[in-house]
Amino acid sequence: MDLMAIVLLCGGLFFFTGGAIGILRFPDFYSRLHPAGKLDTAGQLLALSAVALIILDDLSREHLLTAAKIGLIVVFVYLTSPTATHAIVDAGVRAGLRPWEKRPAGETTDDDLG
Amino acid sequence: MKTAAALLVLLFGGLLVYASLEFPAWGDPMAPASRHVSPHYIERSLAETSVPNIVTAVLADYRGYDTMFETIVIFTAGVACLFLLRIFGRRSSESRLYRHLPTGITLRISRGGAVPLSSKEFERIDLQWVPYSVVVRTTCRLIVPFSQLFALYVIAHGHHSPGGGFQGGVILGASIILFAIANNLRASLAWFSEKLAVLLCGLGVSIYVATGALSFLLGGNFLDYGTLSKPFAMGAVAARSLGILMVEIGVGITVMAVMVHLYYGLASAGRHDEGL
Repeated sequence: MDLMAIVLLCGGLFFFTGGAIGILRFPDFYSRLHPAGKLDTAGQLLALSAVALIILDDLSREHLLTAAKIGLIVVFVYLTSPTATHAIVDAGVRAGLRPWEKRPAGETTDDDLG
Repeated sequence: MKTAAALLVLLFGGLLVYASLEFPAWGDPMAPASRHVSPHYIERSLAETSVPNIVTAVLADYRGYDTMFETIVIFTAGVACLFLLRIFGRRSSESRLYRHLPTGITLRISRGGAVPLSSKEFERIDLQWVPYSVVVRTTCRLIVPFSQLFALYVIAHGHHSPGGGFQGGVILGASIILFAIANNLRASLAWFSEKLAVLLCGLGVSIYVATGALSFLLGGNFLDYGTLSKPFAMGAVAARSLGILMVEIGVGITVMAVMVHLYYGLASAGRHDEGL
């Protein structure tokens, strides 16, 4: 049980790290939202399941209730986090922000500000 | 006038700094607060109020006045934002779009034109705003009942776990904002009108003050919930717990109404006509 929890936790940390690097390193608004929406959702799924497993290690009624609450958190974040990302992307499209395109280095145009 | 205002600000700011110099040092074990106030709360709050969450006991019972005026600050801020954000009396200045549902034809009715409000065949369309995509709307509609249930839990369970009126009120307000996002501003206004929001703003504060005044009328001090034991036929300790709950409900109602009203004003640029 502990081993499983450790593996899940490490997996969650891996996704969170990837998400953080992606947010920092990707070139524009839309591509930064991609790791923010996907990797964080995956990371919280793995990390919170690990926490639930650790709690369930010592099985009792209260711990079962706590694990069920953690499960509910996972479900709701799984629903709302991608939706929030979708809404933010939607807002960017409506505001007229253009997606990033690869250009030769040093060349900038007026489009860079959207 | 400006110089006078600046002088007043400087004077009172200076007074504040001067007064705070007299405070005991940060974390001083010999300060009055740490010598007898904190130990009293920590050791006796459960026995005196039967509320396991000390923060709630201090916030709503021992420091009831403080929280009452905090709620009044929120109420005042809400009223101030009402006057700042709201634009009255420009309803018919723009043209409106209506879709005739059986035929799908869109009509533009310009200023002063007859508006087919009574007919069920016409659906109002926003001029400046396109509804959200189906993903956002469906998720919002799904989340609303759960977040409302959770908000009620946070308000009612504030005695035992982190939470209380302020937090629960914010969640409740957010659920109504989600409802507005899931549909649109007009659907939300039909369900939770501006008048209701403003009324609830005042009602919440009134519930708080009325709870205080009730204990006053029953022979105790203002906000001394122990006296509520007589009409509710319970012990003085349980009555204090009940008083905290009543006060928290008042706070929650005010916070919710202020949040919803702020959202209405911001989402529609003060018009309350069309918007998110």
